[in-house]
Amino acid sequence: MRHNVGRLALLAVLVVASLGVSRTAPAQSKVTEVLIGSVLPLTGTFANYGQQYLWSAQTAEDIVNNDYADLQVPLGPGKGFPGLGGAPIKFIVRDDQSRGEQARTIVEQLISVNKVHWINGEGTSGITSLIQPVVESAGLPMTCHACASPTLTEKGLKWFFRTGPNDKTMVASVFTFLKEWREKGGPTDLKTIAFFTCDNLFCQDNRKVASELAPKAGYQVVLDLTSKTGATTLASEVQRLQAANPDVLFLVQYTADATVFQNDAKRAGWSPKVIATSNGAYSDETWLQAQKKSNGGAGWLGRDPTAIDLVQDRPSWKKVNEIYKKYSRGQNMGELAMREITGLLWMADVINRAKSVEPGALQKAANETKMGPEQLIIDYKGVQFENGQNVLATGVVTQIGWDGEKHTLWPWDLASKANFKPLFPNPGWQERDSKPKPTN
Amino acid sequence: MTELAQAVVNGLQMGFLYALVAVGLTIIWGLMEMINFAHGEFLMLGMFGAWWLSASVGLDPLLAIVPIALAMYAFGVLVYRHLMRRVQGGDPFTQIFATIGLLFLLQNAVVAGFTSDYRFVNDSVLARLSGTKLSLFGVTLGVPLLLAAGLALLIFVALYLLIERTEFGLALQATSEDRDAARLVGIRPVRMFAVAWGLGAALVAIAGAILVNFFAVYPQVGLQFTVLAYAIVALGGFGSVLGTLFAALLVGVIQSVTVVYLEPAFKDAFVFASYLLIGLFRPQGLFGRF
Repeated sequence: MRHNVGRLALLAVLVVASLGVSRTAPAQSKVTEVLIGSVLPLTGTFANYGQQYLWSAQTAEDIVNNDYADLQVPLGPGKGFPGLGGAPIKFIVRDDQSRGEQARTIVEQLISVNKVHWINGEGTSGITSLIQPVVESAGLPMTCHACASPTLTEKGLKWFFRTGPNDKTMVASVFTFLKEWREKGGPTDLKTIAFFTCDNLFCQDNRKVASELAPKAGYQVVLDLTSKTGATTLASEVQRLQAANPDVLFLVQYTADATVFQNDAKRAGWSPKVIATSNGAYSDETWLQAQKKSNGGAGWLGRDPTAIDLVQDRPSWKKVNEIYKKYSRGQNMGELAMREITGLLWMADVINRAKSVEPGALQKAANETKMGPEQLIIDYKGVQFENGQNVLATGVVTQIGWDGEKHTLWPWDLASKANFKPLFPNPGWQERDSKPKPTN
Repeated sequence: MTELAQAVVNGLQMGFLYALVAVGLTIIWGLMEMINFAHGEFLMLGMFGAWWLSASVGLDPLLAIVPIALAMYAFGVLVYRHLMRRVQGGDPFTQIFATIGLLFLLQNAVVAGFTSDYRFVNDSVLARLSGTKLSLFGVTLGVPLLLAAGLALLIFVALYLLIERTEFGLALQATSEDRDAARLVGIRPVRMFAVAWGLGAALVAIAGAILVNFFAVYPQVGLQFTVLAYAIVALGGFGSVLGTLFAALLVGVIQSVTVVYLEPAFKDAFVFASYLLIGLFRPQGLFGRF
C-alpha cells in the first residue's frame, strides 16, 4: 500500500513536471517555418494593386529564403532567418476579391486555422481599416506598408505598423513644393486650386489633407469635386473644372478614372497650368508606361515616397528589381512595389532580431527598430516607429518629363542631384500630340 | 445656356455608346427573357480581344470588330448550348447563379492569362483623332466620340431592321412569345435561343471594340457598364430595340446634366431615380409591351 502511494506520488510529480515541460516546449521548440498571412485584393476592383503586392511578397520570400551574398538589404545574404536557426519564410496568400467582409473572414482563418505569425495586408486603406480590429484583438503583429491613410496609425493600435509614409507626409510634400517653388524661381501667378478626387477612404483622406494645406500654401480653393469610383464619363465634371478655371488641379483618381478624365479633358481642350496628383494612377506602373505612347502624363507632378530617378542607380535596387521581374512578367518595380518590399524586408529583420515567433517578442522587436537608410532600397531616412508609423518615411515630389520618366522636383537637395528642369506650364494637348513619343 | 447644351450633347454622345453596350442585353434578357449577369464580361472579352489584336498584329480596333464579333457570336452560342440551355427550364435563380459563376470564371481566367494590369490602345484611328473636335453654336463635339456614336447608330438601325423587318427577327420574337406555338409553325426554339445568345454576345463585343478607344482595358471593366445596361434595358422596355436606344440616350443626358448642377455623387442616383419614376407610370418601360 505504502509502495502504491509512493508510486502514485512519483507519477503525479512526473505528470506535473511533464505538463510544465510541455507548456514551455512550444516557445523553446525549433521554428521550422515563419508563416506570414497575406490577405490581398488579387481579383476584383483593386486587383491591379493586389498583383503588385503579390509579386512583392514573392520577391521578399525569394530574398529571405535564398542566399544573395552581395545584396545589402535585410536578410539578403544567407538562407532563411539566422536568428531562428535558418528557418525559411512562407507567405500564405489569400485573395479577398477586393471585398472587406471577405478580408475579415480570411484574416480570422489565417489566424485561427493557419496559425500565422504575422498578418500583412490588405494593401488598400479602406479594407485594411476593416481588418485591423480583428488582428488587434488577436494580438498579432500586422502591417500594411503601402496603405497611406493617416487614420490607420492614429487609432492607438498596439499591433499595427507601417514603414511607408502616410498621406499627410506625402500630400504635404506636394503643397510644400507648390509653396516653396515660388521662392525658388518657379511661377508666381499660381493662386487658385481645384480638387478632383474619387469617393473612397484613400481619396477622401487626400482631399481632407489637401483642404487643410492648400490655404496655408497660399491657394484659394475654387472647386471641390468628388466623383464616384468607376465612372463611365467625366465630361460634365471636366466642364465644371474648366468653368472654375483653377491654376492648379489636385487630382486623386485611380487608373481607369484618370484615363476617362484624360480623354474628356482632351475632348474639352482643357489643360490647367499645373496638374498635381497623389498616388492612384500616378503610382501605377502600367499607366506610366502607357503615357509613353501618348505623352498624356508629361508635366503631371505628384508625390512619391522616393526619388525614383535617383534610387534606381543603387546596386541593391537593381538587384531587387531583377528578382522582382522574375515574378512580375518582366515589369519593373513601381513605387508601390518598392514601398511594399521595403516593408516586408524590414519585417524579416524584425523576426530575425526577435529570434522568436512569439507575438510579444515580435512586437517588442518592431518597436525597437532603428534601421538606417543604407539597408533600404528606397529613400526613407530610415525606419523608426512612433505609434506604429515610421517617422523617418519621407515624401518626394516628382514630375513626368517628355521622356515619360519621373524626375525629382522636391526636396531641393535631391532635385539638384536629379538636375531636371520642371515642365511648366503643364503642356497643352496639341503640344503633347506634336512632340515625339518616348516609345513610338 | 451653352453650358446646358454642352452637357446635353456630351450625354447624347455617351448615350450612343451605352446603347450599344445595352442592346445585347436587350436581346438576351429583354427579348428572350433569360438572365445574363456575365454581360459585362462579354464586353470585357471584346475589349481584351480588340486590345490584343491591336498590340500583337497591329489591327485597328475598328477593323477588329469583324473577327471579334464572329468569335464572340460563336462563344455566345457555346455558352447557351453548354450552360444556359441546361438551366433554362429551372428556377430563375439557377440562371442567376449560373451566369454569376460565368462572370467570375471569365473575369478570373483573364486575370490568370493577362494579369490585372491596365491596358491601353493608344495608336488606333480614333485615338489618333482624339484631339480633333467640331464646334457648333459654341458647343464642342469630339470627333472620335461622334464617329463612334455614328457607328453605334448604324448598328442599331441594322439590328432594328433585322428584328422588326425580317423573318428571322419575327421568328425570334415568336420564340420569346410562345415557344410551343413557335415550334408548331416550324421554328426551332433551341436554335433561336442559341442565335439570340450569339447575337447578344457579338453586339456587346462590338461595343467593347469601340470602347477600347476611350477606356482602359482591365478584367473588371465590365461591371461599371453592366449596372447601367440593366437600368437602360428596363427603362427602355424589355425586348424593345428602339426603347433601348432612347433609354440609353436619356441615361447619358441625365448623367451629364446632373453633374453640371449637382455633386457628381448624384449622377447614377438620378439615373435610377428616373427609372423608379417612370416605372410608377409605365412599369413595362418606355417602349415595352405587356
